[in-house]
Amino acid sequence: MNRNAVEQVLRDYHALRRPDTDPELEAVRAAILVEDVFDVVLSDAEIDPAVLGDAGAVAALVAVLRGAA
Amino acid sequence: MCGICGIVSYAGPPDLTLLRRMMGRLGHRGPDGNGWYRDQRAALGHTRLAIIDTAGGAQPLCNEDGTVWVTFNGEIFNYVELGEELRQRGHTFRTAADTEVIVHAWEEWGEECFSRFNGQWAFALWDQRAERLVLSRDRLGVRPLFFTRLPAGLLFASEVKSIFADPSVERAFDPAGLDQTFSFWSPVAPRTAYRGIEQLEPGHYAVLDRDGLRKASYWRITFPERGREPSQDVQENAAALRERIIEATRLRFLRSDVPVGAYLSGGIDSSVTAAVIARYTDAPLHTFSLRFADSEFDEGQYQKQMSALLGTQHQDVMVSRSEIAAIFPEVVRHAETPIVRAAPAPLFLLSKLARDNGCKVVVTGEGADEVLAGYDIFREARVRLFWSRDPGSAKRTRAAELLYPWMARSPGRVPAFARSFFGRNLDPSDPAFSHRPRWDSTSVIKTMLSADMQDRIGRADAGDIVAAMPSGSENWDPLSRGQWLEMTTLLAGYVLASQGDRMLMANSVEGRFPFLDRDVVDFANALPARHKLFGLEEKYLLKRAFADLVPEDIIHRTKQPYRAPDAASFFAGGSPAWFDEVTSERAVAAAGVFEPSLVAGLLAKCRRTGGENMSNTDNMRVLAVVSTQLTHESFIAGGGQGTMDRALPDPSVAVDLLTDDRSAP
Repeated sequence: MNRNAVEQVLRDYHALRRPDTDPELEAVRAAILVEDVFDVVLSDAEIDPAVLGDAGAVAALVAVLRGAA
Repeated sequence: MCGICGIVSYAGPPDLTLLRRMMGRLGHRGPDGNGWYRDQRAALGHTRLAIIDTAGGAQPLCNEDGTVWVTFNGEIFNYVELGEELRQRGHTFRTAADTEVIVHAWEEWGEECFSRFNGQWAFALWDQRAERLVLSRDRLGVRPLFFTRLPAGLLFASEVKSIFADPSVERAFDPAGLDQTFSFWSPVAPRTAYRGIEQLEPGHYAVLDRDGLRKASYWRITFPERGREPSQDVQENAAALRERIIEATRLRFLRSDVPVGAYLSGGIDSSVTAAVIARYTDAPLHTFSLRFADSEFDEGQYQKQMSALLGTQHQDVMVSRSEIAAIFPEVVRHAETPIVRAAPAPLFLLSKLARDNGCKVVVTGEGADEVLAGYDIFREARVRLFWSRDPGSAKRTRAAELLYPWMARSPGRVPAFARSFFGRNLDPSDPAFSHRPRWDSTSVIKTMLSADMQDRIGRADAGDIVAAMPSGSENWDPLSRGQWLEMTTLLAGYVLASQGDRMLMANSVEGRFPFLDRDVVDFANALPARHKLFGLEEKYLLKRAFADLVPEDIIHRTKQPYRAPDAASFFAGGSPAWFDEVTSERAVAAAGVFEPSLVAGLLAKCRRTGGENMSNTDNMRVLAVVSTQLTHESFIAGGGQGTMDRALPDPSVAVDLLTDDRSAP
């Protein structure tokens, strides 16, 4: 999956987000998607709204994790 | 849809009186007519619910020279296209019914014909010259087909009660069938709840001749290796899924010579099928819904919204707990097997509503949850898989809070319970990882079994459903493995049977299920898992594909599985008149399945609480006990058997080659 495809998945995901969700729980929800779709495992530090709230940042993180895999 | 039955006897001519008695027990499946055929070795019976070619499609029906006969329950939806192909190959048709396609397709293609059928069927085909019986059942088990082996032949029927019309057939519970029921919610084909009674596996055919009975599959549930799915493009896949669902729905609405209605539950699946009918066909649409007096279960607001949007002629039936209790014995007589939920009962009332309003065919959203990953069990598995990567992580543990927001005891409100329940068996290498919590919680029912039944179950071989998973499934996406288990166990054994065919046919109504169309299923099974369950968003591709036809409120509402009040139905307003006798210590001991003292304790607890706020486990225990007792009373002790016989009108087909009498169209 190239970077464009990764970013498309993340845009699709962000289109589903509900604004009233607890941010911590939303980060868990995002982590479930990221791990499943991109076959990566996040650390607890990465399961964080600040990390998973931005599509570009997640794409970069996925690239790093997949590169390391 | 109809009722089918028959006898094959290599020891002597089949008994016509028995055949008529078997047909009489299938009268509810076919109130529009009946017919039979008999020769030296076989007899076929049919009770007809006339839907296609109502004037000319009487059965049993034969080929051009009367050497191949068929008795058929179901629909072959692509019969028009197959008929054209067969005519081009020289076959002559006498009717416009889909039934006749089966006979000619068998002549033309033999065992290859089954994979050409797109439909829902159970049929028996008798080749008189070869003295060979062929039984066939649709891919996913929409239509039922039971049989029992005889020393020199076989009895088959759409329902077990028809086979039990033969007094020489043993009536006893099968410990292994009960073991499966109290683990998976139903027996898994070929097993049933009864010793010596088998059901043909979905996607299979069987051939019986003088060499014996042989079975083979013509289709299997399968999925591609994760990452090797043929199309990864979500937009393309959404468009292709939409096209297939529209075609499947149109076929099921238009290929009928009688009016077709639709169920409307308030969820996305039936909203999609109803919306497709409204958008892509011209006929007025009648829709039918269940309402619940209990607000916890009611979805009336969404049903009303959807019916108003589509401009359907809408009817609903309000179901109370006391009604569920009152009709439950009849529900079990139709289900013919122990059930661990009361949910079939309201569906019995819904099919009655449809029939009372002149509809004998309904299109429903059944199957979408299995095929397109809508069930909570799939979300649950994904959460547990996430958790399993670091069970000690506090953040990962919170994932359980994302499950079951609609439940009073949701994981978010009772986190300690969530951790203990979902945190067990977190072994991702387990092929049945997705289903362990359900199977474990259901299996608690077995702690109430009598010592004798526990011993018999221990000695029985219930088979290993996990070992039966296809080779290569270890490379499927975990979601696909969960879907395989769900389609193999709950879909065929419970959703399409106790909750589906039986509750529909109890009131002579045929269900049609676009999401179980051959082309929809084959396409959906080849999709990347993330297009079905996108993170924790269930039925993601379906929602994308029909975002223009279904209101956002319904598309994005929190998934609410279909449920009905369980234990409370039998206790909240006082127990129904039949209850005390059926669950008495004497009756429980006579059935021999449950330990009477444990049953007495459970029922006393229910009486104290009115059945309110019972645990999931206790709700299932109550339903298991009550339905098992009713099953025993109706089918094994024989108390309810008399109520099953129905006098049939004069047959429209009566062919007896023993006496050379013929009365056929």
